[in-house]
Amino acid sequence: MSQCPYHDPFKEARREKPVMATEFDGEPVAMLIGLKEVRKAARDHETFSSDAPFRVPIPREEDVRTVRQYPLEVDPPVHTEYRKIVEPFFRRATKPEYIEKMETLVDELVVDAVNRDSIEIVREFAIPLQSRALTFLLNMPESEADIWIQWGTHVFRDESGVSKGHEMEAYTNDLFDKAEANPGDDFFSALTQAEFQGRKLTRDEMQGYANIAFAGGRDTVINTISMVIAYLAEHPEALDALRDNPKLVTSATEELFRYASPVTHLGRMCPVDTDVHGVKVEAGKLISLNWAAANFDETVFDDPETVKLDRRPNPHIAFGNGAHNCLGAPHARLIVRTLLKKLSQHAASISITTAHRKVEKEADYERRNAFHTLDVTIEPRDA
Amino acid sequence: MTRVTFITPDGNQVQVEDAVGSLMNVATDNDITGIDADCGGVGSCGTCHVRVRPEWLEKVGKADALEKDLLDLEENATECSRLSCQIELTDEHDGLVVEVAGR
Repeated sequence: MSQCPYHDPFKEARREKPVMATEFDGEPVAMLIGLKEVRKAARDHETFSSDAPFRVPIPREEDVRTVRQYPLEVDPPVHTEYRKIVEPFFRRATKPEYIEKMETLVDELVVDAVNRDSIEIVREFAIPLQSRALTFLLNMPESEADIWIQWGTHVFRDESGVSKGHEMEAYTNDLFDKAEANPGDDFFSALTQAEFQGRKLTRDEMQGYANIAFAGGRDTVINTISMVIAYLAEHPEALDALRDNPKLVTSATEELFRYASPVTHLGRMCPVDTDVHGVKVEAGKLISLNWAAANFDETVFDDPETVKLDRRPNPHIAFGNGAHNCLGAPHARLIVRTLLKKLSQHAASISITTAHRKVEKEADYERRNAFHTLDVTIEPRDA
Repeated sequence: MTRVTFITPDGNQVQVEDAVGSLMNVATDNDITGIDADCGGVGSCGTCHVRVRPEWLEKVGKADALEKDLLDLEENATECSRLSCQIELTDEHDGLVVEVAGR
C-alpha cells in the first residue's frame, strides 16, 4: 500500500537507544521512545508514578486547571477504585443502540460535508462530530454540544491562545449542582451518586473526572479525524479498498490510530532516584512515555512509516497501555470505524485545497501532529 | 462441528456448539465475560487474552513473536496464553477448553 507522508522525528534517536534525555518546562525529562520500554514502564507504577497532579500531561497544567484529574493522576490500588466508578459509562460505546446513534450522527455530518462546495474539516466537521458524539458518552442532551463546540480544538491550549479551562470548570461545577438537586441518567448525576471507599466523592474529585472527560477526548479525537480525512484524500485507493472490503474497517481503524498517534506522550514521576536505561532521573523528576515514537518502532512494526490498512497484529499503543489505558478508546474507535464506513459509502474522492499542519516544536524535536485547518472538497459518490 | 468451552474469570463454564471463525468472535457473539475485544480482533489491545488448556496447546499452536510481546506484560499470562483473535477455529479444535484471563 501507499507511502504515508509521516516523518517519524524519533527514528534516529530510537536506533541509538530507547530513551532520549530532553527537557520540558525547564526541567529534565527522560523520554522513552522504544515500544517495549514504553509498554513496560507504563505498567510499572511503583517506579513510574501517576501520583503527580498537573504533571501527567506534558507540558504541565497548573496554569489551566485547578483540580487533579481522575482516574488519570492516581496510582493503583486507589486508581482501580476510582476507575471502576466511571468504567461502565465508557463501555456503553460497545452497545448496539450506541453504535446505531453514532451511525446516524456520522451519516448526517458526512452527507452534509459531501453536499457542500468545500468544508474546513477541523472547525466545520471534526469539532461538531467530537462534541455531539460526546453527548452519547456522557448521556447528555445533544443540544448541549452547542456549548462544547465553542471551546475549540483544545480546551486548555486552543490556537486562539485563550484557555477555556476555567470556563469549563465553572460549567461542570454548575452541572454537578444541578445533578445533586435533580439527578438524571447522565455522567454528572452518576458521579454525584457514586460511592468511593464508603463515602460520596468530593466536589473536587467530581470536577477531576469531568475535567478529563472533556479535555482528554477532545483534541485527540479532533486531531485523529483530520488525520484520517487527510490520509484518505492523499490515498484515493484507500476509499476503494474500504468499499471493496468493508471488513477492512477494523484493521484500518487501528492502523490509522497508530499513524495519527494523537497523544504524543504522557509523563510519569519517579518517586526516588532512578536509572532509566542509562539516563539518571532524580527523585521527583519526570519521565515521558512517548506513544507516538513507540508506534513507529521498526523492531516491532514492519515498515512503520507505511500505512498498511490490513496490518495485523498491530500492537500499537496509541491509547496508552496498562492500568491507565484510554477509557475513551471504545468510543474513539467507534467514531473512526463509523467515519471510514460512511465516507466510503458517500464519498467518491476527497481533495485538499489548503492545509496548515500543527507542529509541536520542543527542545530536541519537532513533531507534526494533525492540522490547524484542513480545507477539502468531497466528490459525492452518486454525482 | 466444533464445540468450545470457555472458563470465565468468575469460574463459570460456558459451552458453545457450532463454533466457527476466530475464537474471539465466538466469545463476543456469546457475551463471554472477560473478553472485551476492544480492537475488533486485529491484535492491538490484548483484551481477548485466554489460556489454552495445556493438552490443547499443540493443536492450537503457541503465540508467535509479536503476539508473545503483547502477552508478555499481561497479568496472569502463562506459556499457554494466546490472544483469542489470533486463533482461527477448525474441526480439529472440537472439544477445546480455554480459560478467560480477564483483568
